[in-house]
Amino acid sequence: MRKYVIRRLLLLIPILFGITFLSFAMMRIAGSDAVLQRADASGVALTQEVIDAQRAELGLDQPFLTQYFRWLGGFLTGDLGVSYVSGNDVFSTFVSKLPATLLLTATSILLTVAISIPLGILSAVKQNKFTDYLIRFCSFIGNSLPNFFVALVLMYLLAICFPVFPVISTGLSLQSAALPTLTLAIAMSAKYLRQVRATVLDELDKAYVTGARARGVRFSVTLWKSVLRSCLVTILTLLAMSVGSLLGGTAIVESIFMWDGVGKLAVDAINMRDYPMIQAYVVWMAVIYVVVNLITDISYRALDPRIRLGGEEA
Amino acid sequence: MKKKRTAAALLLCIALAASSLAGCSGGTAGENQGQNAEQGSSYGADSGEAAGAKTFVFGDTTFNAENEESDINPHNACGGWACIRYGVGETLVRLSDTMEIEPWLAESWENVDELTWTITLRDDVNFSTGRHMDGEAVKECLEALMENHARAAGDLNIAEITADGQTLTIRTSKPVPALMNYLAEPYGCIIDMEAGVTEDGIVCGTGPYEAVSLVTDTSLELVKNEDYWDGEPKLDQITVRTISDGDTLTMALQSGEIDAAYGMPYASYPLFENDSYTISGCATSRVFFATMNFDSEITSDPAVRKAIAMGIDKESFVETLLGGNGYAAEGAYPDSYAYGGDAVETETYDPEGAMEVLEEAGWTDTDGDGVREKDGQKLTLRWLTYPSRQELPLLAEAAQATLGDIGFDVQINSTADHNSIRADRSAWDIYVSAFVTAPLGDPEYFFNYCCLDGSVQNVGNYQSDRLQELAEELSGTFDTDRRAGLAVEMQQTILDDNAYVFCSFLRMSIISRAGVTGLVSHPCDYYEITADLDIDG
Repeated sequence: MRKYVIRRLLLLIPILFGITFLSFAMMRIAGSDAVLQRADASGVALTQEVIDAQRAELGLDQPFLTQYFRWLGGFLTGDLGVSYVSGNDVFSTFVSKLPATLLLTATSILLTVAISIPLGILSAVKQNKFTDYLIRFCSFIGNSLPNFFVALVLMYLLAICFPVFPVISTGLSLQSAALPTLTLAIAMSAKYLRQVRATVLDELDKAYVTGARARGVRFSVTLWKSVLRSCLVTILTLLAMSVGSLLGGTAIVESIFMWDGVGKLAVDAINMRDYPMIQAYVVWMAVIYVVVNLITDISYRALDPRIRLGGEEA
Repeated sequence: MKKKRTAAALLLCIALAASSLAGCSGGTAGENQGQNAEQGSSYGADSGEAAGAKTFVFGDTTFNAENEESDINPHNACGGWACIRYGVGETLVRLSDTMEIEPWLAESWENVDELTWTITLRDDVNFSTGRHMDGEAVKECLEALMENHARAAGDLNIAEITADGQTLTIRTSKPVPALMNYLAEPYGCIIDMEAGVTEDGIVCGTGPYEAVSLVTDTSLELVKNEDYWDGEPKLDQITVRTISDGDTLTMALQSGEIDAAYGMPYASYPLFENDSYTISGCATSRVFFATMNFDSEITSDPAVRKAIAMGIDKESFVETLLGGNGYAAEGAYPDSYAYGGDAVETETYDPEGAMEVLEEAGWTDTDGDGVREKDGQKLTLRWLTYPSRQELPLLAEAAQATLGDIGFDVQINSTADHNSIRADRSAWDIYVSAFVTAPLGDPEYFFNYCCLDGSVQNVGNYQSDRLQELAEELSGTFDTDRRAGLAVEMQQTILDDNAYVFCSFLRMSIISRAGVTGLVSHPCDYYEITADLDIDG
């Protein structure tokens, strides 16, 4: 197991190298640069001398490979550089946005689990009954609505018609997190409860469930002790994927609710060609996906002892 | 049992639907919103005199690092805009409603010779730190500005500053007739350099409010400057919130979480056109205009340029597509300027006339496909623009329709990468962009940057000997009236050549809830929060 974990963590090195190089290259291909984007945004004309001086100051006049390896050198020594746009330290700026993203990830995953698992199970158990149809109908609606639309509807209902929650976030509080959490949870629950339903139905069709029923074991016991445990691997896979993407921030929801997380930071950085900030985000994404997947793989083993990891012997 | 559960589920659904409808439909929602706006919601701006303190929350879409306003330090990029807009900093001179300079921190000034200016400062001004604003303090500030702000250094060309009590003498390295106008630029906010700039980018100015905390892209907290020189500020605390999404800004104002908003999307305006809100708007010199490419085979033809100028329906664009939130343009400056508006003559929308011009020049539709040709070349117009200004793609579509009617095939390329594409003059025929033509009330800026030989934004390679002569004269003219006269002649020159087509000016608006007073839009877009700003209970 230890070897497996070390091997997976070592894989991070080529992944980080490849992904940072690709993102650096793609931003150059996208055209423009931070100096021109800033001039555009402000509507102020700059002389060529000022543009050249600003480019030289940021190192943008250097060849592409020189720029990349200079960034890589800084990264390897723990220096992520300063933002081309705000002039602030990239690492401290990025870290300052993480608590908001972590809080929103935690609350939306918890709410998603709280909604999708019970409703998914209920829908499976009541297959082709009114409850099942109602849940599936709601799930269909939830899946069909884009996040930004759900966000605006929730704002309208819960901040204007019935002023229960604030429109704009006023800091890291559950009250401020309520609407963004609900927005994300509605979309994710709509998707997951169908997956949970399908997995539970699949499991209910298996012979051991029929056998347990024939032996007179109560259905609820079979459901909670056997069926759900078997479904956990699938549910965990889904949740792990969501945790990965949520930790990368949810730019649209963050922008709408002025939730100060890393997703909005990343989109702003891309728009402004703020290369050091984009690179920090890319590194973060690579690390969280590798780590979250590793944790998920390890937990498979804990949930289902039949699963072997990385060439382990049975 | 099963039936009971089904009935309960149905009842729950009906109850939810009914309560939503009851709460949000028609007048009820309006009443709720009006009530929220008038009282401030439970999460709202706590406006009025909560806990004995008068507070105010201002939502702004532009206060962010993307606009080069990561802080309020006037010596850092466009931080001066935030410094002056939010009442922290003030400049030596300010711009009047007609965009003429008038005294502010400076009492008077004199242009001693071409290179020397003497400025007399007010004697009753203190920084919010308590330090007296004298010549030495202003000298320190302007020297730091020249050292840290490349654009300011390039504009001002200050060679030497000497201070003597309340008198400041500035020597420039070359004649700068518009020096006092440049000192009205937000980068010219006078700040206390002894107090310096905090790590967060907070500075201490002479304005009615003092910054106490700042989080880039999030918020700025201000408190009253108890020692303000020009009357007592009426509010105790102000929060400026960065709200980048237009819909969120709309709902925050509707819910009462903010008291006023800047940067509201056009589509939201009808929601606020009632007694619960006040809309203050005026024309700015941010113009949406087309630059012709003189290296293009199509737009190097004077008849084609004239037909384009006659084929764009500016009035309809402003009234229909911008919903009235703009002003049709004639020249480079709006009519609030002495040399703007109808001081110049330009082509008006005349599709029949445009067709005649094209016919006479030999552009005819021989194959009946609706697109004119000449010597085997189709009248295809490659229209380059960008989407970050919501008006530009709309203008492109409007022009595509009206120019299409007179025989053009307009091919739109609306891209964020317009800067690199426009550098290749073989890739486009007409470039449509937004530009603030006279941010300081002086006309020289636009021509210097956009129209002359070697201008950094003369992207269409326009060349006019007459314009060069006039520009030369303008650069050495100190008399304001003569400068205005030259500005008219220069505009007329570029309009006669149809080198540029000025389509519309941006109408800048601030929307506030009822009860807010003293918050008015200004043509230069610099002044928002002042000592006059107030809010009732």
